[in-house]
Amino acid sequence: MGPKSILKSPAVPSDAVDARKPPVNEQHLQVALQHANIIQDQKNVEQEILNATLELLEFPPDSKADPARPSPSDAHKFKTLVMPFQPNDYDALIEERNCADLCGYALCPRPRKKVPSASKLHFVDSRDRGVQIVPKKVLEVWCSDDCARRALYVKVQLNEEPAWMRRTGGGHEIEVLVENAETLEFALPLRLKSKKEVQQGELKDGDGEDIAAAWALADEALAELSQERGDKDSNIRTELIKAKIEERTNFKTPSAPSAETTASSAHMAIEGHIPRTDAKKTKDVDDDDDENDWDD
Amino acid sequence: MDSDRSNSAAMIRMWRIYRTAKEMCMDRGYQMLEEDINISLSEFVDRFGKEGELEPDRSRMGFSAKPTEAMLIKYTDPPTPKVPNPQPQIGEIWIDFSGDENVGLKQLRDFMQHLVSTSYYSGILVTPKPITGMALRLLRGSTQFEDGPRGGVETFEEQHLLVNITKHELVPKHVLLSKEEKAQLLERYRLKETQLPRIQVTDPVAKYLGLRRGQVVKIIRRSETAGRYASYRWAI
Repeated sequence: MGPKSILKSPAVPSDAVDARKPPVNEQHLQVALQHANIIQDQKNVEQEILNATLELLEFPPDSKADPARPSPSDAHKFKTLVMPFQPNDYDALIEERNCADLCGYALCPRPRKKVPSASKLHFVDSRDRGVQIVPKKVLEVWCSDDCARRALYVKVQLNEEPAWMRRTGGGHEIEVLVENAETLEFALPLRLKSKKEVQQGELKDGDGEDIAAAWALADEALAELSQERGDKDSNIRTELIKAKIEERTNFKTPSAPSAETTASSAHMAIEGHIPRTDAKKTKDVDDDDDENDWDD
Repeated sequence: MDSDRSNSAAMIRMWRIYRTAKEMCMDRGYQMLEEDINISLSEFVDRFGKEGELEPDRSRMGFSAKPTEAMLIKYTDPPTPKVPNPQPQIGEIWIDFSGDENVGLKQLRDFMQHLVSTSYYSGILVTPKPITGMALRLLRGSTQFEDGPRGGVETFEEQHLLVNITKHELVPKHVLLSKEEKAQLLERYRLKETQLPRIQVTDPVAKYLGLRRGQVVKIIRRSETAGRYASYRWAI
């Protein structure tokens, strides 16, 4: 066969290419799609966070809402919106709310505290840490210390991992610091101990049924959620590496190394490797060269 | 009293920023009045000073500018069989000076809504401090942002407009090429646009000229051996 041309071969039968290429392309396509999906997912999450921030900027809808006892619907909405946040996104939200002259805690409708003096630094006398010098900006973030506590209570629960890398999808449930514990549970009534109690009629029949129905609904929702987290994988998670194990079947029984093959050329070995040389051919060439050299 | 006001540092600062903003609009190709650009400090104080205050009234400083004929032509795509009468990709611009200390999502969104409601093509917001991270994120997506104006929104910090950077002796002249000129350039040198050297749209001069992705600028430098030396950059 002649020297291989560096130019593209002009006429390759098309069906031959088709037959050979797809497996290669398939792999490439999979890899490309995987990465494209990751980037797209990242963008989607960022957009989602931005939209959530925009919404939380004008939160809560009711201007008389009490941050200590948020209405269950507000609290629920806040929790779901804040779920994909990372702590620094949450910081950004607080900053945005401050820009809009609101308390940093998203469930608080009050304006932020204004320090009367114009100086940049302030003395703050706290009991446990003594007198500290604090920048004015830090003092003006919240409407009160309680709101600061509530907001930071949410912040420490946020997942540091970006939402698109989280295995469980959105993230885990976030709790809101609430004064009365009942509202914490989405205003769900106390769970009945067992069916027996209902039958025994400790409670009024109608009440018992209502409570049971409410809890059944909640359980259903939770089950759905867990299923979503466990089973329903987004297309990103599709594994490129197959977990199927294939056994290699055609084993040869190993044979002991024979001394003859190695012994003859053992002295030629370079770190265990014996270079293969076509001894006769090289000798001929050498001879020719030598003769020519001597002639000259 | 009056001399007191005109000598205040804040007033002089805003006067310089105002002038640079005007010069920027002229360099981009908007219609500008010569006397507006060379506004003197005392005149500036008269127009925008507040009674009894050292700071000028930023809310009154906003101005609009219409593109010149040359600019309209430059921003119009060459006609194609599909689009025989292309519309220019530029329009009236509104420059606003934000009075708020901190500019966040809320202020930016208000500004965008203002631009849309008054049907300006694009806008520039000049802020005293850098805008927040979330606002930047909104801005990045604002080309597809349905609420924003068609031509997008740019933001400048006040301190970046204190000095007109293009007047510095080490900054060469940047000239924006139209689509047609760009096509000619690529034809002349037998290039694809990806083979051109690049300039980031976040580059200070690119920001000053309001370059968009894909546009090409001609950079003309003085050269000791050749007299003038032109190079081209593809905005990215």
